[in-house]
Amino acid sequence: MTQASDLYAQRLQRIQRAVALEKQDRVPVVPLADSFCAKYLGETLSVFCTGTAEAATNAQIKAITSLGEIDGFQHATFNANLLSTLWLSKVKMSGVELPEDNLWQVEETELMKTEDYDVIIRDGWQKFIDDFWMYRLDNLGARVGPIFAALPAAIQAWKDIGIVPFSPVIVTIPYEYFCGARSMREFIKDLFRRPDKVQEAMDVAIPVLIEQTRQICRGFKLHGIWVGGWRAASEFLSRPLWERFVFPYYKQMIEAVVAEGVVPVLHWDSNWTRDLEYLLQFPKAKCVFSPDGATDIFKAKEVLGDHMCIMGDVPSEMLALATPEKVTEYCKRLISEIGPTGFILAQGCDIPPNAKPENVRALIASVHN
Amino acid sequence: MAEHLSRLLADLQEDQVIETVKERLATGEPAIGIIDELQKGMELVGQKYQAQEYYLSELIMSADIFKTATALMGDAFKASNDKIGKIVLGTVYEDIHDIGKDIVAIVLSCNGIEVIDLGVSVPIESFVEAVRQHKPEFVGLSCLLTTAYDNMKATVAALDASGLHEGRKILIGGGPVDETTRDYVNADAFCKNAQEAADMVKKILGVK
Repeated sequence: MTQASDLYAQRLQRIQRAVALEKQDRVPVVPLADSFCAKYLGETLSVFCTGTAEAATNAQIKAITSLGEIDGFQHATFNANLLSTLWLSKVKMSGVELPEDNLWQVEETELMKTEDYDVIIRDGWQKFIDDFWMYRLDNLGARVGPIFAALPAAIQAWKDIGIVPFSPVIVTIPYEYFCGARSMREFIKDLFRRPDKVQEAMDVAIPVLIEQTRQICRGFKLHGIWVGGWRAASEFLSRPLWERFVFPYYKQMIEAVVAEGVVPVLHWDSNWTRDLEYLLQFPKAKCVFSPDGATDIFKAKEVLGDHMCIMGDVPSEMLALATPEKVTEYCKRLISEIGPTGFILAQGCDIPPNAKPENVRALIASVHN
Repeated sequence: MAEHLSRLLADLQEDQVIETVKERLATGEPAIGIIDELQKGMELVGQKYQAQEYYLSELIMSADIFKTATALMGDAFKASNDKIGKIVLGTVYEDIHDIGKDIVAIVLSCNGIEVIDLGVSVPIESFVEAVRQHKPEFVGLSCLLTTAYDNMKATVAALDASGLHEGRKILIGGGPVDETTRDYVNADAFCKNAQEAADMVKKILGVK
């Protein structure tokens, strides 16, 4: 145990130095994998994606630790039902709507109607979301409750083997909830047809979401937390819309997380290159920008390198199709050009289920060799 | 007047576009001229997208206004089909993601390409059948999941086996798609984004 706790302390300090933009002994590597772990271990996805938190954590630990020495892991467990809590959409499950070994997928349909903005404004966000989980997401609480309850044990399981579960909870801004619940096409039309109503509902939701985030940070004693973004990406929205409906809400959320002494990990999928300069408004040396391979990470270094740690971004296509030599070459480039200070090596987004194990091994090894 | 309607659409003035179209139809004006102006409006939208003044947000909104406006004219819109080329487009089997594909469909439509959109999780045989039926110059395959690469590859192989690849180009795109993917699935070209797809299609067709 002493050895594991020493390792944990060393690795946590390495990650914290990266966040603080301080000089490093080496670049930390903090991957994330879920479906990959199941595939790699020969488990069917249907069992993995809706099993217990304990089983998912065990699979993740067994798989990833067999592929090299990591400093941290981005999450602590997995269950595909958790996706519904973020997207406010149903998920097509492996073994239910999909063949048992096919990857689960979010099914985006118009579960939220335009009149629901008024409901949020009138009754508040919490009442709306409670009803939404119960009646439109088929009692989602019953499916995710046990996962939340098991999270402290999952976090401890990683600590017990000396690995930092860096950002085991995901939060996001009203834009993502609304977009998922309305469906992207309908929601974007709302931004033109009823912008004031959308903003009013967002302004009702954000203080509640921030308070919940504060409680999560305290309750789980987190070091970091994912502040996610996917459909709010710059590539999808013109700047006036992004400035009005996206950025101000991230700013509030990120400042609240930093005030809790927790590192906001900006896990931002798709392309945010256009608006990187806005991230300079977030507290210096307190955040991690984690693009998925679509944002130009080298441009991010140019814009944010003196201000914010960057994490990433070995693309999923490279992990699935390239050779280990190509992966190593790309990782070395990241380490030298984005790092070595202020950089954490990771995949972009998530290691895909069909990643070649030798490519994941090459990714992890590149910080050690 | 003509420029006015195009401009209203390009500026996403939904109520004014619909009102103007209704008024002009009520005067007995032939639909064909109104449709032409709306299509010019969509071309302007495409130009703004290319100039990065507009993004997906404006593409979605303009396409919706266009759809509502042309619906007021019934079959006249279908009869006015003046296109420079045709593409059969879809997200490959076992992948249900549609946003990237939809962006491509809108941008290609803005550029005068007729889009036969087969939707998401399109079975291989549906692609083959659609190509056989519509005889497009292009086939567009999209995916967001790396696990869909094999179905993308199988779709290309099926078009090869049925002789339907010959004389047309198979283009691929999507979040995790790159040149390595193109090589893996044996497609003709990889398009990084919707605008690149439009530029490539026009270049191959010899249209400026």
